[in-house]
Amino acid sequence: MQSKVLTTCEFCGCGCNFYLGVEDNSLTAVYPATSHPVSQGRLCVKGWMGHDYVNSYERLKTPLIKERGKFREASWDEAYKLIADKIQQTKSQYGSDSIAVFSSAKCTNEENYLLQKFARAVIGTNNVDHCARLCHASTVLGLSQTFGSGAMTNAIGEIGKAEVIFIIGSNTSEQHPLVASQIVAAVKKGAKLVVADPREIQLAKVATLYISQKPGTDVALINGMLNVIIAEDLLDKEFISQRTEGYDELKELVAGFTPEKTSEITGIPADKIIEAARIYAKGQASTIIYSMGITQHTTGVDNVISCANLAMLTGNVGKESTGVNPLRGQNNVQGACDMGALPNVYSGYQAVTNEELRQKFEKAWGVKLPAEVGVTVTDAINKIESKDIRTIYIMGENPIISDPDSNHTEQALKSLDFLAVQDIFLTETAKLADVVLPGVSFAEKNGTFTSTERKVQRVRKAIEPVGLSRPDWKIITELAAFLGYKMEYDSPSDIMDEIAKFTPSYGGISYDRLEEGGLCWPCPSADHPGTPYLHKEQFARPGGKGKFFAVPYRAPAELPDDEYPLTLTTGRIAFHWHTGTMTRKSWTLDREYPNGYVEINNNDAAKLGIRNKAMVKVTSRRGEITLQAKAVNTIQEGLLFIPFHFAEAAANKLTANNLDPVAKIPEYKVCAVKLEGV
Amino acid sequence: MSATRIIDKKKLADFLETLSSDCEVIIPTVEDGNLLFSELGSSKLEDSFKGRPIVSPKEYLFPQKEKILAFDTTDKVNVDIKAYTNDKKRVIWGIRPCDLHGIKTLDAIYLSDFVDTYYQARRKNTIMMGLNCNEPCETCFCNSCQTGPFASEAYDVVFTDLGDKYLVKVGSDAGQEAVDKIPNLFAEATNDDEKKAGELEEKSKQSFQRKVDVDVAKQNLPESWDDALWAEESEMCILCGGCNFTCPTCHCFNIEDVQCGEKASIRMRYWDSCQLGGFTQMAAENTRENQAARLRQRIFHKYIYTPDKYDGAIGCTGCGRCIEVCPVNIDITHILGRVASK
Ligand code: SF4
Ligand code: SF4
Ligand code: SF4
Repeated sequence: MQSKVLTTCEFCGCGCNFYLGVEDNSLTAVYPATSHPVSQGRLCVKGWMGHDYVNSYERLKTPLIKERGKFREASWDEAYKLIADKIQQTKSQYGSDSIAVFSSAKCTNEENYLLQKFARAVIGTNNVDHCARLCHASTVLGLSQTFGSGAMTNAIGEIGKAEVIFIIGSNTSEQHPLVASQIVAAVKKGAKLVVADPREIQLAKVATLYISQKPGTDVALINGMLNVIIAEDLLDKEFISQRTEGYDELKELVAGFTPEKTSEITGIPADKIIEAARIYAKGQASTIIYSMGITQHTTGVDNVISCANLAMLTGNVGKESTGVNPLRGQNNVQGACDMGALPNVYSGYQAVTNEELRQKFEKAWGVKLPAEVGVTVTDAINKIESKDIRTIYIMGENPIISDPDSNHTEQALKSLDFLAVQDIFLTETAKLADVVLPGVSFAEKNGTFTSTERKVQRVRKAIEPVGLSRPDWKIITELAAFLGYKMEYDSPSDIMDEIAKFTPSYGGISYDRLEEGGLCWPCPSADHPGTPYLHKEQFARPGGKGKFFAVPYRAPAELPDDEYPLTLTTGRIAFHWHTGTMTRKSWTLDREYPNGYVEINNNDAAKLGIRNKAMVKVTSRRGEITLQAKAVNTIQEGLLFIPFHFAEAAANKLTANNLDPVAKIPEYKVCAVKLEGV
Repeated sequence: MSATRIIDKKKLADFLETLSSDCEVIIPTVEDGNLLFSELGSSKLEDSFKGRPIVSPKEYLFPQKEKILAFDTTDKVNVDIKAYTNDKKRVIWGIRPCDLHGIKTLDAIYLSDFVDTYYQARRKNTIMMGLNCNEPCETCFCNSCQTGPFASEAYDVVFTDLGDKYLVKVGSDAGQEAVDKIPNLFAEATNDDEKKAGELEEKSKQSFQRKVDVDVAKQNLPESWDDALWAEESEMCILCGGCNFTCPTCHCFNIEDVQCGEKASIRMRYWDSCQLGGFTQMAAENTRENQAARLRQRIFHKYIYTPDKYDGAIGCTGCGRCIEVCPVNIDITHILGRVASK
């Protein structure tokens, strides 16, 4: 007999819901939820066909301990004891801050909350972070400074009703298919669409205007648009005077970004810049959609701020179908941030440096908490060499493939005193661990994910954990017990109750309420309906005003030169997820794209004598990979694109660890490479 | 067959429960606002409902994922092979006319010149009880495809919702046998009952929001082969496969040997989608080189190839699922409309 379990998709931040069909503890079917406001009976191919990995033979089924370079099976208690001993040892010898904990945007809110609590209350360090560092750290900082809240301002369902949609740095159809669905619907209803992207993405085909900026010149492009809007008096003066501050500085700076000057930097013809500005500014409800094309730069924070400037200048924020909408990649990257799996904040973005808030958590957790901001994922890796970081505990991340400069990451992790990894597969990273703990997939546990629209939704257990694996939240509580700290919860619902108690924006969220459907935070009390769009009457910043920042243009860190004449940009494709750990074990998805490839402009390919589908070698200052060339006419000349899913042709062997100075996000979107036939 | 009968709505549960004593009974049920097929016993019987579940009942004959055999190569000479068959007895109640017709189409495909034993085993043991549509849904156009809104064939038993009772028509021996199990639940239908059903059918036919001139579209299709419309209509396709997965007549599958032990594997077959680039990719490439060709294939298969091969009946039931499930609104009625107006 088959049962059907309603749950939330484990891949992207769209947060689609579907039923999993279950027979004999295996997932055998998928049924899209027709009543779900985002899915409406629809899914992308990952939602339909992406779950075979759950029942894969390769799943980790028992804890593993490495001895003389080889893994052997171990009991849970043995593994816990070893990890606890090593943590104790590192702690007493080198201090708590020589330990770092990586949380996971794939895991539930409850698990992220517990893991940051584990880092802070059990180990005694704020060194906790997760892969948001690598995707939207710049969003969190950029939007907090300008608006006071680092999340998508509006709900997904509002996009379908927008009048103008400006997409910059998001290949929405591949990365957030069910958001693209809203965009297509809006365009069918007559909305104007402006797409700015160095690659002519699918949505460009239905765009009113497509512009192709040189990678890394987004600040200049937006400053240029601001210049036009001010020059042509298309701004919303009332909004600016009543709801914002800092306009004069902005005005002064963007005066220098005439269309001509902007054109020189961005490579976009001046008249197109003017047109883009006019279309955006004239819409009654204009919305900005961006993703990693904005955030993954050394100017990531500046890019985000620029988007916020654009929205405020025209009064397109705080209303339905407007706003600045960063599309969060992972199913629960929003939630992992919300839960405080970040080195500077507890859950709900409550600063660890704030005495009062720290005391609140000290009281709640019954221990003294560290007051200093911890290290980020990227910094932690860099601090291994200097022995400032000696032990790392990783839950559900695969930094060797996902972090920039893979060779360096791998070397660093190898030189740790101790590495423990909690995952569902023996990933490239887990292979380097001293102890591996088998966690479970989304189908084997209860919990919640928070989608990109800040919507907290239930994840429901469909099958029993495979082998001896255990739900990740359980693992954390059990390991804590071995370290002498009691975390007692009967179920994830109890954990959510604790989250709600100490996290104002989640204050009204409980499993009972979530049975009726998801809730968008802020949801401060049990009778609060949730908040689909933010900043309605005032901004979330102290004082309630939005703030303009004048941001000058800075070029990307590594530009092409004679030796490495091409620019490389990286990203995802619709069929795979991140490091491929799950999707490459799902039959249909693996069949569609079994191997990595590099996209190159037809003309460049001809110049280099490369035929379509030929094998080529791509080299940067940091490494080289060999993969198939895909010659297309939808990418700028001089630019290459490589999806980063494939370990055997890992794009991140090439990328550089050049970081945004504030957000510490690496510049995945620009580095210099050369390409040759093999 | 025997005369038309009626059954009190309140007694339907008794009827289905009796049947469930020696088989699995599947019914449509609404859970959290989602209409789903589910097993009687674990779910409630709806008093009335509109539309059809988003995934068609074909999956009870041709599941989304199915084990077809298991093999173990520990002993290389005498490889241990075990075939799976599924002959579970099942009654599916509440199948809409479009889906009854879909199963008829699948029967033609899977049980004629080439017999699919997996399908056959399930099909032989499945009794299909239809439920006519008093109210068509927003995306369907079964009336244009002559498969609905009321069923005229392809059922064992079919029900019509008359408010507080159902009109019951039997269409096969298996259906008769089922009804005869508890004859006292049923009464003779009166002329009034039959008249009421006729009125409901007429009213339902009048309330379609979509209409397609199938004959003209069919006639014009071959001419449209090189038309720009295929590229235009398919340009936003995000390759989700949903149109194929939910379609009651799509029947393509792929096979994967999935490791389940040191030397043991299970051969699975699972739904495939002709909209995907990797579909039927053999030594080199998908023979349909772009999305335009793949969309064209989907429509031609339903409207040209299926009727050519099997008795002239089109392979589209007009259920509208491919419209509802498509994230980018690729709409078969719109496409056929364009073709028909050429
Ligand atoms: S769009 Fe995102 S959430 Fe929806 S099915 Fe696809 S991967 Fe899952
Ligand atoms: S082609 Fe579309 S409308 Fe026709 S039967 Fe298939 S899903 Fe239904
Ligand atoms: S449902 Fe729509 S988007 Fe998905 S494969 Fe079919 S036509 Fe393409």
